[in-house]
Amino acid sequence: MRYFRILPHIADVRLYVKGDSLRQLFIAALEGMNSILGGSTEKSKASAVFQEIEVSSQDVTTLIIDFLSEVLTRSQILKYQFSMDEIYECNERYFKARLLGCRVSAFEEDVKAVTYHEANVIRNREGNYETTIVFDV
Amino acid sequence: MITREHLVQRSPVLWEIPMSFRSDMRVPALLFTSEAMLGEVLDDRSLEQLVNVATLPGIRKAAMVMPDVHEGYGFPIGGVAALSYPEGVISPGGIGYDINCGVRLLKSTLMYIDVKPYLETLAKRLFCTVPSGVGRGGKLKLGKDKIDVVLYEGAKRMVKDGYGVLDDLKYIESHGVLEKADPNVVSNEAKQRGHDQLGTIGAGNHFLEVDKIDEIFDEQIAEAFGLSHNQIVVLIHTGSRGLGHQVATDHMRIMNNVMSSYGIKVPDRELACVPLNSSEGMAYFSAMAAAANFAFANRQMITWEVRQVWSHLFPSSPSLEILYDVAHNIAKIEEHKVDDHIERLIVHRKGATRAFPPGNAELPDVYRSTGQPVLIPGSMGSASYVLAGTQGGRDVSFSSTCHGAGRRMSRHAAKKIVKGKKLLEQMTEAGIYVETGSVSGLPEEAQFAYKDIHDVVEVVDRAGIAKKIARLHPVIVVKG
Repeated sequence: MRYFRILPHIADVRLYVKGDSLRQLFIAALEGMNSILGGSTEKSKASAVFQEIEVSSQDVTTLIIDFLSEVLTRSQILKYQFSMDEIYECNERYFKARLLGCRVSAFEEDVKAVTYHEANVIRNREGNYETTIVFDV
Repeated sequence: MITREHLVQRSPVLWEIPMSFRSDMRVPALLFTSEAMLGEVLDDRSLEQLVNVATLPGIRKAAMVMPDVHEGYGFPIGGVAALSYPEGVISPGGIGYDINCGVRLLKSTLMYIDVKPYLETLAKRLFCTVPSGVGRGGKLKLGKDKIDVVLYEGAKRMVKDGYGVLDDLKYIESHGVLEKADPNVVSNEAKQRGHDQLGTIGAGNHFLEVDKIDEIFDEQIAEAFGLSHNQIVVLIHTGSRGLGHQVATDHMRIMNNVMSSYGIKVPDRELACVPLNSSEGMAYFSAMAAAANFAFANRQMITWEVRQVWSHLFPSSPSLEILYDVAHNIAKIEEHKVDDHIERLIVHRKGATRAFPPGNAELPDVYRSTGQPVLIPGSMGSASYVLAGTQGGRDVSFSSTCHGAGRRMSRHAAKKIVKGKKLLEQMTEAGIYVETGSVSGLPEEAQFAYKDIHDVVEVVDRAGIAKKIARLHPVIVVKG
């Protein structure tokens, strides 16, 4: 199970994400970021790429932000939207996966950065992982 | 949650949260606002963030916030903090992701009546010539060597390459280049994000505007600034684009990882910081300076683009001289009085503008007696202001003042109030030509989504930290 929702924020974009595992949380976060970036992907095989991503951080909250930051950087440089293809390893300090990228002609939102603001990955009463993530736009 | 009861009113426009409010505060927190605006300030977490800033190692005198305050990341927007040099901390959260986001004002020799017949044409030509919008690239595509030169030399480089005149540099903060820039501490990713973005506005609240001066508050200083009633001017509001955003992201991450090795713990990850005189601190400062130079170069390139349009449309009055160019997201090493002596400080301004007083040695001769011009853009369709720096600002706020109107409503809520097409019609009816790449996104920047700029400027004027000189009214707005 995974879930994301855009929440109100005075100046930027706030995302709430939830997953029944850390893997699902990371997938939901990536899907949420892509929904903010917007833009229509080119559906041709010629524009699809695979890229590996590997991130290590001091704790799980920093890890998920650093992961999204790395994907955002690649998206902005290459003008690609990346989705999760396969997660190799995911724990509280290390994440490794293969991403699938599709070219976009233009993004709809100018996301400057993924911030650490309000981010705090916790397990809620239902046992699901959840956090809020704020994007500077 | 901070409430009115926690504030001590020092004057009609100055409030203090004393150090006794929280045991880890090293200095008090000061808020410049009016009684009428206070309620909105207390509605979000900006004052909690200001109290957090007051805990930073090496902070001097007070953590401050301007009347356009709203909640940010780490620092509140509108925040000013000065830390001891060189051992005090430097914090990317005290500068922001858009390093050297700032404003430049160009003065024409034309009056509104001269330009009125050409407004629609001028709007379209500016929109076509100056790239704006999400991810939109510019004419120049910089290779690695070229981008490093721009990061070293800022606006100076653009002038050398023919995109301006030498005189332009006199009227830019820090003469358009920060000396400590080092492109070697700017990541390849940052350079890749910025390599095609010189000469571009970007999106969001960035804009290019043509304004007419509709009120003069100080005739003498306005004359020294070369401003007169009904004169047409151009405002440019943009920053370091993707390059600056990436520099901030990169170094925020580094600092979060190493901060504890300096014995530093902060209440908010976005306040991550290290001593300036650490290797990571110097690396960030040099990278920040490089990104700031990119922003100065960006506004210089846009100036060139606007001048091309202007000279083509108004060949008998082609002149567009710079009044001034200010940064409102930056850290500078400056000397200020603390207690009874002068100290060298790392002044962080995040959504706040430097406002040097009369007599400051950095100012060009023509502004030595007036104080530095300060450019305060209002929200889309509303007024903007030209202010001047004052001795009062030097004494009270580290020569700092506000930067704009400050948001009071989310983008989502703003879009629910009015549709883009309707807002466009309203602005056209009000005599403002709008060219935008996103009509549906226009309501996000509507006037009602921001604080009242008149109230914001009134506070800084009453507080004596900047002085009203002229008010501008938009006639053309170009947005991404």
